[in-house]
Amino acid sequence: MRGSLSRVYTLTSRNFKEILRDPLSLIFMLAMPLAMEVLFYFLFHEMTDQFAMKYLAPGIVVFAQAFLALFTGLLIALDRSTAFLTRLYVSRAKSAEFIFGYALALIPAVLVQTVLFFVVGGIIDPSIWGIGMLRCLPVALCTALFYIGVGILLGTLCNEKSVGGVASIVIAGQSVLSGMWFPTEGLPSGMVALMKCLPFKNAADCMRSALNGTADPTADFWIPFCIVLAYAAVSFGAAIFIFRKRMRFR
Amino acid sequence: MPAIRIRDLTKKYKEVVAVDALSLDIEQGELFALLGVNGAGKTTTLKMLSTLLAPTSGDALLDGKSICRDGDAVREILDISMQETAVARKLTVAENVAFYAALSGQTKEEAAASARAVSDIFGLDSVMDRRADKLSGGWQRKLSIALALVSRPRILFLDEPTLGLDVLARRELWKAISSLKEKMTIILTTHSMEEAQALADRIGIMKSGHLLFVGTKEELYAKTGKSSVEDAFIEIVSGGDE
Repeated sequence: MRGSLSRVYTLTSRNFKEILRDPLSLIFMLAMPLAMEVLFYFLFHEMTDQFAMKYLAPGIVVFAQAFLALFTGLLIALDRSTAFLTRLYVSRAKSAEFIFGYALALIPAVLVQTVLFFVVGGIIDPSIWGIGMLRCLPVALCTALFYIGVGILLGTLCNEKSVGGVASIVIAGQSVLSGMWFPTEGLPSGMVALMKCLPFKNAADCMRSALNGTADPTADFWIPFCIVLAYAAVSFGAAIFIFRKRMRFR
Repeated sequence: MPAIRIRDLTKKYKEVVAVDALSLDIEQGELFALLGVNGAGKTTTLKMLSTLLAPTSGDALLDGKSICRDGDAVREILDISMQETAVARKLTVAENVAFYAALSGQTKEEAAASARAVSDIFGLDSVMDRRADKLSGGWQRKLSIALALVSRPRILFLDEPTLGLDVLARRELWKAISSLKEKMTIILTTHSMEEAQALADRIGIMKSGHLLFVGTKEELYAKTGKSSVEDAFIEIVSGGDE
């Protein structure tokens, strides 16, 4: 058990350094969403409630998490393409340790994203400060599991050239199907039903409910939260299954 | 007991037989060169021996441990340097060494000793603080092979270690590999006859998954009537199993 934890720590630490030292990951996971948060607020918040900070900040947190899928996938796909991962397969590490090593390396990024976007949001619009921000932290860790699981899956299935393209579908899905940038009231009922079945809108909804509170916690928080967790479980389950299958025959 | 005992090791991909009933013994401390043209089955053999690929049939014992039944135990005693350079790109050379040492369960003191040892063999001192992706191709290759030694394996597989290196880098690497002889058992696959001639205690020649020849350079010359490994290799490969 101690050996296993030590290997997970070693793998996590390496993966964390690889992500931290990639300027593109910092730009896409932190700088760009932050710029969007500030810009969109000042450009649009007087035009529509959609861009009030109490809706925008939690939306941006979830939007930025979609990039976790891209950078987790890229890291694994590159490790595979350079034979780095194959070589590690000839070590004592087990498949679950590899998966934990990749997933845990992203947790600091999730925490930094969440704190950064809420603190900046709170500076711009102090009305969002409150206990809701603290509630958002564990919720963000849970919603991030879905994107990290998707990233591990993509990195295991795609090569380093195709993973960007496929991950951009997830990012586009988060943008278009989350209801972050436009009101969903006027959309066709089929479209709204689809959005409610997919994890993107549910992730944004439960984050908004966690920040702002809600009169109906079951409908506005717990159901969307459980849907996102179910997607996270499926994406992680599939990632572990395929990763193990591809790892070796042992 | 030989360090590596291979018996009827076979790998089939549907109708294609990549390795066909390979049987071979390799002694402790021996440096064995596996030669063959593209598609001969050299890399497939190494992948099976290092538990990366399941044999279709047959087995191999590494220090008495079966690759089919004791995968975990086998992985404790071997390491491999792949054809492709396999390093953590954004980590420094020192961080790469520390990473591999930690992964193989070494304490900080043991890891420091491993770092000193591989640095001495491969002359890594001058690049210890540089990031792997900023190194030249030759240095990356050296690092990649050096990392295979960090875990202090008893058995080492080197898959085309000097592929793509210039003549100077190749000669330096040969020197490093030569210094490992007798300290561990090594199987080296290569396309370079010069490399096999310079480094190997014994040579095996594969073609289309079959092992056509096993023996010393002298035995190879005697069998073919040639005076260089290259000429003897061509004679054996073009002449089938003559």
